[in-house]
Amino acid sequence: MNYPFWVVPIVGSGWIIGMIAIFHIMISHFAVGGGFYLPLAERKALREGRSDWLRTLRGHSKFFLILTGVFGAVSGAGIWFSIGLTHPEATSALIHNFVFGWAIEWVFFMIELSTAAVYYYTWDRIDSDLHVKVGWLYAGSSILTLVIINGILAFMLTPGEPWLAVAGTGQEATRFWQAFFNPTYFPSLFLRIAVCTSLAGIWALVTTSRIDGDAEPALKTQMVRWSVKWLLPSFMLMPLLLGWYLWTVPESQRALLSLGVSTIGSGMFTQVTRAALVIVMASATIVGVAYFFAYRNPREFTLAHALSVLFLALLATGSAEYSRELLRKPYVVGRYMFVNGTRVRSVDTLNQSGYLGHTLWMRTDLPLQTSQGEAMFRGQCMSCHTVDGYRSIKRLLGGRNRAAISNFLKTLHDCKPDSPYKRFMPPLVGTPEEIASLGDYLSATFVPNPSIRTLQ
Amino acid sequence: MKTAIYDWVDERLSLTDVLKLARKKTVPVHAHSFWYYWGGITLFLFLLQALTGVLLLLYYRPGSEAYESVRQITFQMQFGWLIRSAHAWSANLLVLSIFVHMFSVFFMKAYRKPREFGWFSGMALLVFAVLFGFSGYLLPMDELSFFATKVGLQMCTTIPAIGKSMADLIRGGPDVNEFTVQRFFALHVVVLPALFIPLLGFHLWLVQKHGNALPASEQAKPPEKRRSIPFFPNFLAKDLAMWLIALNVVALMASMFPWTLGKPADGLSPAPAGIHPEWYFMPAFEALKILGKIAPGAAGEAVGMLLFNAALLLWVVIPFYDGATAAGQRGRRAHYLGIGAVGALAVLTVAGYWGIH
Repeated sequence: MNYPFWVVPIVGSGWIIGMIAIFHIMISHFAVGGGFYLPLAERKALREGRSDWLRTLRGHSKFFLILTGVFGAVSGAGIWFSIGLTHPEATSALIHNFVFGWAIEWVFFMIELSTAAVYYYTWDRIDSDLHVKVGWLYAGSSILTLVIINGILAFMLTPGEPWLAVAGTGQEATRFWQAFFNPTYFPSLFLRIAVCTSLAGIWALVTTSRIDGDAEPALKTQMVRWSVKWLLPSFMLMPLLLGWYLWTVPESQRALLSLGVSTIGSGMFTQVTRAALVIVMASATIVGVAYFFAYRNPREFTLAHALSVLFLALLATGSAEYSRELLRKPYVVGRYMFVNGTRVRSVDTLNQSGYLGHTLWMRTDLPLQTSQGEAMFRGQCMSCHTVDGYRSIKRLLGGRNRAAISNFLKTLHDCKPDSPYKRFMPPLVGTPEEIASLGDYLSATFVPNPSIRTLQ
Repeated sequence: MKTAIYDWVDERLSLTDVLKLARKKTVPVHAHSFWYYWGGITLFLFLLQALTGVLLLLYYRPGSEAYESVRQITFQMQFGWLIRSAHAWSANLLVLSIFVHMFSVFFMKAYRKPREFGWFSGMALLVFAVLFGFSGYLLPMDELSFFATKVGLQMCTTIPAIGKSMADLIRGGPDVNEFTVQRFFALHVVVLPALFIPLLGFHLWLVQKHGNALPASEQAKPPEKRRSIPFFPNFLAKDLAMWLIALNVVALMASMFPWTLGKPADGLSPAPAGIHPEWYFMPAFEALKILGKIAPGAAGEAVGMLLFNAALLLWVVIPFYDGATAAGQRGRRAHYLGIGAVGALAVLTVAGYWGIH
């Protein structure tokens, strides 16, 4: 059970992770792509004897160091805090499986952060060849952080049969490598590398757009165009990589994507399709703007243009991460743990012996029935629903009377194959008495009209 | 091959002359250049309206099946919901961008000689756009659109003498029903486009003829200090980028906040609480409500309608009483009138929504 005292009004706890994570991804993927951009650009400048390029790259590396070393690192730690608070069960499951993976990851983080600082502070202080080598050391360590974290992220969507076969037996760590190199590992890795190279170009456009095009037209033209080139290959490969990725996603999860083609249904169930449309739209616009504005008219490419491209990239990345999260529904770890922290294999046990049997979170200052209902609501509903804001429980319950709420809870509890909620929502677990308490609690707390609150 | 095709077309259509003209034409660059894009954005949103409208036309059935056909579009046709949402969102954004365009023209005093007809045709286009909105709003025939149209046409009856007959004529009877949908459909897809498109052509031709107006602050500068860029390709590329941004905004809104469909309209059921017209009618709705409170009864309503129309007329005929002055003179009274109009629209809109919630 997740912490029921961790209540985030309006946006919900999931979005706390979401907001920090999207911000982090924008920077961390730049940290990887930019790690290759810098030494490659420096090498090119040295070979061609372009001191003006080196001056610009020095400025870019300062921007890079501050952005990745401060904002990237802080938001990375922020993800840890937020997932630990929001999803302690899932976090615990991941740590138990991947503790050594994370340990290796942190080693590479340390190398990454140190070399980024060394790279910036040793401009003109060490031999230029050695300086480029520091850049390559940074690039190598940063891509290795991606290689590792990608295994854990992809695992959450597709843990794979070998790991699922031993899940819950205490033998999970023996399937570390199978879990790590799970079915979506490689498509996801290449997709992320493509995003990294694009973001390297997009962030570089932010710094190169600030070069004075009237004072240094040749420098601005070349650097802006060189930065744009970082976007095009990955954007061309993106449809293929996305296709590969979706092909490896289980059919049941892929169905979530096609649902939104023909209907908006009850809104939230088709969000994944709608978010996917935003990705396509924003990505296509980035290519258009990058080509027509930056590549064709580099001298007139301004910071405002670059920031617009960055904003579109944020939109595309945010939508992509949001879609990826939604594709996993109703699980937080595919077929192993539901989004509310209930383990798939515990469902029958919890239905028989009760969901609240071992909880320490029941309030004692309320009548038993109410505190049971509240604990059920906080434990099983609040991972995804807020009271008044995102996926508002008040709005969703609407004017349902007590009997309708009971029927709805029964549908969720039975979780039959033809249930429309089965694809997105975990089964409601607990004894009939606990479920009745939840129904009373929902009705008394969230239904505005008192005349329909009682069960007749 | 490419050159041969170009030459063949050029010989017949004189493309080179058009390009030469486009290259010669310039657009001023100054602190307020941003406002020049709004006319283009409005045009783009109109084109989007036409495109999505034609696609909706493939499945929409007016009359008694209106609701069912919109239900099918929204919940059964592949991407039907997206096209409908894009149509609805771009319609709202179109009205918004017309307002922005209108006020930017107003504050740049671009209605002065020789651009008076640009202003008049623009105002007529605004009226048509609002009528497009009003007629299109009813077409799904759900509860909300039904009652909002009913309330809207009720306002029409307050016009002295002809009000009631006019409302009956528009409704096709004393009540809003399937005949009204049929009429609104004809208005929406035939009558209004037939009037709007030629007028739009006239408006665009005037823009072409007179070029962009300069704000007073720019006019005050000596000509050698004014900056400009060629229309083709520089300004056009920027204009197209704005279109792309507008398309992204529409796509984002349509995808993330799709237009939903309420319950089917039922004339016998009571109106749902808080029924109100679309946001662009809200200031008028609220103004009439306030005037109705000050002077209740039919006479009060008539006075309200009269005052309201007088204010509109005052706005439309501004080129006649705020004509061209010596360069650099801002025309303060007109400026204050513009600020007052923006303020009044904002206050009335906020008050209207405040009253509902």
